[in-house]
Amino acid sequence: MKYIPTVGIECHVQLSTKTKLFSEVDNDARGKEPNSCVSPVDYALPGMLPRLNGEAIKYAIRAGRAMNCTINNHSRFDRKHYFYPDSPKGYQITQFYEPIIGAGYVELPSGTKIRIEHAHLEGDAAKLTHFDDYSLVDLNRVDTPLIEIVSMPDIHTARDAYDYCKELWRLMTFANVSYGDLYNGNMRFDVNISLAPEGSKKLGTRAEIKNLNSFRAVERVIEYEVSRQTKILEKGEKVVQETRGWNDATGKTTGQRSKEEAKDYRYMPEPDIPPINLTDEFIEAELAKLPLMPTDYRQLFSKSIKEDIIEVLLDYPQLMQKLAEMAGVLPDISRLGPRPSGPSTGGRPRPKGRSPRADGANSRAAALRNAPSRELSATPAVNLIANLFTSVLLAEEKSAEYLNDLPTTKDLTELAEMNEKKELSSTATKEVFLGLFDPQMKNRGTRTIAKELGLIQENDLGALEKIVDAVLAKPETKKAQKDFKAGQEKVIGFLVGQVMKESKGKANPSSVQEILRKKLS
Amino acid sequence: MKIKREDILHLSELSNFTLSESEIESLSGNLSDIIKYISQLDELDVEGIPPTYQVFEMENVWRDDEILEQDASRDELLALTKESRDNQIKVPKVL
Repeated sequence: MKYIPTVGIECHVQLSTKTKLFSEVDNDARGKEPNSCVSPVDYALPGMLPRLNGEAIKYAIRAGRAMNCTINNHSRFDRKHYFYPDSPKGYQITQFYEPIIGAGYVELPSGTKIRIEHAHLEGDAAKLTHFDDYSLVDLNRVDTPLIEIVSMPDIHTARDAYDYCKELWRLMTFANVSYGDLYNGNMRFDVNISLAPEGSKKLGTRAEIKNLNSFRAVERVIEYEVSRQTKILEKGEKVVQETRGWNDATGKTTGQRSKEEAKDYRYMPEPDIPPINLTDEFIEAELAKLPLMPTDYRQLFSKSIKEDIIEVLLDYPQLMQKLAEMAGVLPDISRLGPRPSGPSTGGRPRPKGRSPRADGANSRAAALRNAPSRELSATPAVNLIANLFTSVLLAEEKSAEYLNDLPTTKDLTELAEMNEKKELSSTATKEVFLGLFDPQMKNRGTRTIAKELGLIQENDLGALEKIVDAVLAKPETKKAQKDFKAGQEKVIGFLVGQVMKESKGKANPSSVQEILRKKLS
Repeated sequence: MKIKREDILHLSELSNFTLSESEIESLSGNLSDIIKYISQLDELDVEGIPPTYQVFEMENVWRDDEILEQDASRDELLALTKESRDNQIKVPKVL
């Protein structure tokens, strides 16, 4: 019998607000000492009062819109009680009954739509490190704002699950609500998976695999569970409903002791945080600040950049934003600031600017999003730089550190122009492009770098002709000239080579060949 | 509503309390009394009235996203724990 898997995914996204959800301490504990970003509120000392971070509300509004979700005017917080060392309070403050983000959907690059059931705001738990006979507790992560995104069980393949998680990552990073640093646990996934016979309307018994921190792990878990549950069902046995742990090294899931299975969270309204009632105007004002999303970029560049290159670039929001800037779509996107991309980067991004200029960029993004036709006509400059980003920059060992310090739009545009005018060969273009990242050279401007590297091609036909004449006058080229005239085509390469040598590599080879042919005919 | 022995055991497990036999008994009685007292509210007809989550009618109480210096240092916080190690709180193995 063929079994169809049904998967639902819960994703926890850490928001990149400056402070925590309920206390005024530093929310970015990356690279900081354990228990150094902790307030008495996080510590749950008696009498402490949580104070809601208004920015987290705004982040949630943007995150919700990024997933095409309705934003609820009314929401509130609840206490979810449990006893575990990761929660000094003995409960988590979450939104169980009335979450801020309602239903919506995420569209995968394949076109498949995964519906979102809802998403809610809540505080993160402490980080535990387990040793042989004890555990250590670091409270830095306590009450980092999270949004938990709950999908509908619309996923039926491991591939779609991977794509869904990755698209969520893109949405959250482009919406600028999370650093999206997977290595540091900025996004964590819980997977629910069950199998049912093909055609069956009833879902099977599900297993839940918690706390996965990469798209690949999500994909592998599903592949593994499909095979494990299929074997059980084929033997006529029953799948046990349980929480299972994933071991990345063995590539297997194992059942966890089910003592905590009998869940009884005794939810109650959080008395310390009054309810949230948002006006439509407040929500609209926040929605207008949403930068361009992956879908917008796909549409914008559909004529300029090849689809597979767009998909690669969508993993690097900074590069996409730079290209939009080059295309004149975003006059100033500095408000987005640099952000870490991938596991090897850290450090705190620049605080987000709030200049009127930046707001101009925002409303322009909003206007663009609502315009009927959002495609840009083909722009060769953007295409060239997009190709350099993917084929040269991302291949560089230091690409991660380069990403946060990209060349200016002016320098990149000039590079594209020099390439277009054939002042730079394609090899030279790559070299100058890398020069724009070189700490020694980068601030000198494209043309100066090209000159200093001696890479500007000689396109002045008069000057070229003189060099060609000088080469043809040399005795060592006489035989080649005779051979060419006698019909030996290949010899032209030798003659071009001689001219290139004479010009110290600065001549444009195709112009040289053209002049040579004219002179030897 | 009578609070049964199993209810007390369930609650003590959820809260990780170890209770003596006499405590189980007295708590059953106490909790039953509390619930009986609260249950007087059931006599009211609340049909069509939305639940009251708070009585001060406050809403949208939130603060700016600015980091403030904390009065309590890490050392002071760790001094409150039973045991610490490497600047972390040490607890019995839990999983």
